[in-house]
Amino acid sequence: MGKEAMIELSNVDVSFLVQRYGFSSIKQYFVSLGSKKLFERKPILHNIDISIERGECFGLIGKNGSGKSTLLRVMSGIIKPSSGIVDVRGAVAPMLALGIGLEPEMSGLENIKLCSAFMGVSVRHTNKAYEKILDFSELTQEEMEMQVKRYSTGMMARLGFAIATVYDPEILLIDEVLAVGDVGFQNKCYKRINEIREQGSTVVFVSHFLSEIQKICTRAACMDKGRIVKVGSVHEVGQYYNSLFEDPGVGHSRK
Amino acid sequence: MSTEQSLKQRSGLLHYTELVFVVAWKNVKLRYKNSFFGFLWSLLNPLLFLAIFTFIFSQAFPDIENYPLFALTALIFWAFFSTTSNHILGSVVENASVLRSVYVPPIVFPLSQLIAGLINLLISFIPFGFIMYFLGFEASWVNLLVIPCTILFALFTFGFSVSMCAFNVYFRDMGMLWNSLQPALFYFTPIAYSSTLVPENMRWVMKFNPLYHFVELFRTVLYHGAVPSERQIMITGLLTLFMLVTGWIVFSKLKKGFIANY
Repeated sequence: MGKEAMIELSNVDVSFLVQRYGFSSIKQYFVSLGSKKLFERKPILHNIDISIERGECFGLIGKNGSGKSTLLRVMSGIIKPSSGIVDVRGAVAPMLALGIGLEPEMSGLENIKLCSAFMGVSVRHTNKAYEKILDFSELTQEEMEMQVKRYSTGMMARLGFAIATVYDPEILLIDEVLAVGDVGFQNKCYKRINEIREQGSTVVFVSHFLSEIQKICTRAACMDKGRIVKVGSVHEVGQYYNSLFEDPGVGHSRK
Repeated sequence: MSTEQSLKQRSGLLHYTELVFVVAWKNVKLRYKNSFFGFLWSLLNPLLFLAIFTFIFSQAFPDIENYPLFALTALIFWAFFSTTSNHILGSVVENASVLRSVYVPPIVFPLSQLIAGLINLLISFIPFGFIMYFLGFEASWVNLLVIPCTILFALFTFGFSVSMCAFNVYFRDMGMLWNSLQPALFYFTPIAYSSTLVPENMRWVMKFNPLYHFVELFRTVLYHGAVPSERQIMITGLLTLFMLVTGWIVFSKLKKGFIANY
């Protein structure tokens, strides 16, 4: 593998300080004079080793709660690992998930400016992108001036995808968002993802659907209980993923 | 679909400064977006209190010359403190969805609420100026000192609220607590009454309230038309510094756990 790695994670552990829920925990905390902890450390990801190369579309698959989204957030820098090294060499577009980052009270147009600012694009440059976003999202001028809260889920997904990809991100992270649009839009998204990839960017794609991953990804990993349990070709990982559901014993490699 | 402008690595103070202003402007627009009277509401609240206070207290406090002006010079800044602290308190939690999807330093949100509050206050100076003029306010150059005083007070408000904002991520009780404490603080601060009405031997208690010092500061500049004493400047300056440092420490310590607890 002589290719250049864009995302490299080695020995990454992630754990969260999670508040113990409810009033009783606060009461216990004071009664025990602080010796009973108010927060507990909850491990989320264990020992993640992964290297994703330039121009690759990498799929992440796994059951609900296996840590896929958390891993994406680690890659985007939103979550800092509690140990290990995260090396991401490139500008990351906002993680694409449903309607995320869009301000429901504002119009589509205002949201373009706002999201661009969050992505680090100066307001001066948003006008140039506007036409392209309009074109890609298939929203009319009139709809663009409407408040986003009146959009349908599909419209939001279209706008979100258009904004996140318009500035040619070097790294694009997608968290099961394409399932919402209709088939026409899905195909358009796949096409755009391929385009971005061919320009030398890296795409990490999370999905529950094996078929989606098989359609666009070159390589994939399967996650289970916060660990990467299998890395390889889409085919291999797909087989492994399916086997998780046949035999619940597989993949429970607890220390 | 390629654009000349591509994504840059997000870093640098300049970018975040622009971001703070973009978000601040969004906040200003959002505040009054779905309301008919919009900006007028931010004037209405202090004016309503002014009317009530004038009706009730101007007879009760005959010693205070031009009572409406006396009350208004403090009410304007209380209104700023009250709304801005509330907005800052909720700012991080309200933007959880953004913070979960793109890397932005969380401090951007409280900061932009502060800027939004300041913009609102600056605009409201114009109508309040007219009202004060009708109340018999005599303008002088000294009144311009209200600008640095406002900046100082804004920084104080920020430092104070940003700690609450950080705690609010973990315990939503913070918002409820602050909502119920606010009216108490309002009456504990000499806004509707003069601090000279409080018996001499009890006045030291009042001075534990940082807002007391700021209200006196604004009254010195606007109501008495005088330059604040060195002592006043020092006390308010130190209070601001203390709040900013505390806010900074609390926020940077607590922000590490934000992501798991929004």
